[in-house]
Amino acid sequence: MKNQANPWLTSNLLVLGLGMLPAALLIAALLYFTAWAFAFSFTDLALVGTKAVDWSWVGFQNFERLFTRRGFLESLWTTVIFVFFSALVGQSVLGFLLAATLRGTASRLKSVIEVCIMLGWLLPDIVAAFLWSATTSQTGLINAIFVRPFGLPPINFINDYALPIVIIANIWKGTAWSYLLFSAALDSVSREVVEAAKVDGATPFQRIWLVQLPIIRPHIATNMLFITIWTFTYFPLIYAMTGGGPGRQTETLAVFLYNQSFARGNLGFGSAISVAMLVIVGLLSLVYLRMLREPK
Amino acid sequence: MESNATTSRLTAIALSFMAVIWVSPFSWLILNAFNPMSTGQLEIPKSIGLDNFALAVSGNAGRQFLNSLLIAAGTATLSVVVGISAAYPLSRLRIPGRNAFLWTLVLLRMLPSAGVLVPLYFAAQRGGLLNQFGVIIALTILNLPFTLLLLKNFFDTVPIELEEAAYVEGATLFQIVTRIVLPMSRAGIAVVWFFSFTGAWNEFLLPLIFSRVQDGFPMSVGLYAAFGQQGAINYGFLTAFSIIYAAPAVGVYFLLRRNMNTGFAGVGVKG
Repeated sequence: MKNQANPWLTSNLLVLGLGMLPAALLIAALLYFTAWAFAFSFTDLALVGTKAVDWSWVGFQNFERLFTRRGFLESLWTTVIFVFFSALVGQSVLGFLLAATLRGTASRLKSVIEVCIMLGWLLPDIVAAFLWSATTSQTGLINAIFVRPFGLPPINFINDYALPIVIIANIWKGTAWSYLLFSAALDSVSREVVEAAKVDGATPFQRIWLVQLPIIRPHIATNMLFITIWTFTYFPLIYAMTGGGPGRQTETLAVFLYNQSFARGNLGFGSAISVAMLVIVGLLSLVYLRMLREPK
Repeated sequence: MESNATTSRLTAIALSFMAVIWVSPFSWLILNAFNPMSTGQLEIPKSIGLDNFALAVSGNAGRQFLNSLLIAAGTATLSVVVGISAAYPLSRLRIPGRNAFLWTLVLLRMLPSAGVLVPLYFAAQRGGLLNQFGVIIALTILNLPFTLLLLKNFFDTVPIELEEAAYVEGATLFQIVTRIVLPMSRAGIAVVWFFSFTGAWNEFLLPLIFSRVQDGFPMSVGLYAAFGQQGAINYGFLTAFSIIYAAPAVGVYFLLRRNMNTGFAGVGVKG
């Protein structure tokens, strides 16, 4: 690659080294914080009160609590449902369908749709939460169009169907990312291949399913993994819409972590939840590393 | 041929329908924001006015806007400066352990902020940084693996021959970096800056934990606090406030759109 004998570099090694110093320190801090999260998970540290100063080591007690008390396993299951339906089924499939359909259409319609779905993606999480709370409220848009004209009593969606509404809101918010990625990937498929399939009599469906999809499979895998990890730890939208409720219906792991650590003040137990999340994300990341290293 | 035209027309109709569904939630936001007598209902306003917007830029709301701006611009600028000064040597020098370091970054990039939330809070509390500056530093730390990797990838694409030529002409390291490397990776730097800016502008969790006083709230926390209140909610104010809060992130994207699209493929597909 680059040879070491570049005089403007070798004569300035000190300056270059100093330039790297701030970044190295910050990365070291990040590693240090991660190690700290592990250490905290073996203590009974609290946010306020005597346990905030006078904490002690409690061994694996916090981790036992994860599996023996109610809360963690339910949250994990809620998170799995949330990730599966909003990220994998919703954003990924919808994003791909849009990218595949829009590839051949007139550029005007294409840019209108791109702007529409980008608006959802660019909107700050809290505004999106506010918007969807209003849209699904008893006086909101969905009731005004689909429920009240038929003489039915208005439905309080956010109370009665909390998890599905949160999932829909997240699909609305996140599809643009998958769309952009899949469009870029589909653009990299050469036109000749698709044309050849067309000449051979492949239907549009076959052209997508049998020709384009296998070619962009690495991109699909990467995207799936990325949005799985992001959605797994996604906090603001759900928290601002429901706070984890009603009951614990929408308490995903990130919300559970926040509620335990900062609403109830159990920082030790909260750290154990962090560690569990880090382990799960770490395992997923290892899969990602393997995919990067594999020759495509 | 006939059936082909019909299919494409059907597709166009389906797509337009979808676009309408996609933007329909905004109807409520717009109708209420421009209605001075807003009640939070979905209704056509009897009069249209900008009173709500006047309210949403003054007093407390104005301060929250400035806080958000400080956090977002501070994080983006700090990330880019720290990132550039480390990414250039990383891209050009063959430092021992470089590959191990890069793989560590790829792994750290996936690290969820939730995972280090408690230690971050503790460190900030000890250092007296439970304020906007603490948020800036924390966000920069969390951003850095991604920023570094991306900038290094962009610097890798700058041909080293240009730098050699400049050196022969008598340019110093500083001149080489500022006159050749940075201008040539302008698009990439813009993408990194934009990502850090919008990320910090939208950030909710860290300011929620770090902001002890109402004066320190950025818009995300301010909006959350306001619509979480029970009782008399001023919907006109909140909707106008939401629009102002959303505008910079949306605006910056459309300003940088051309740069973004070149940068995007690299962001998602490769590490």
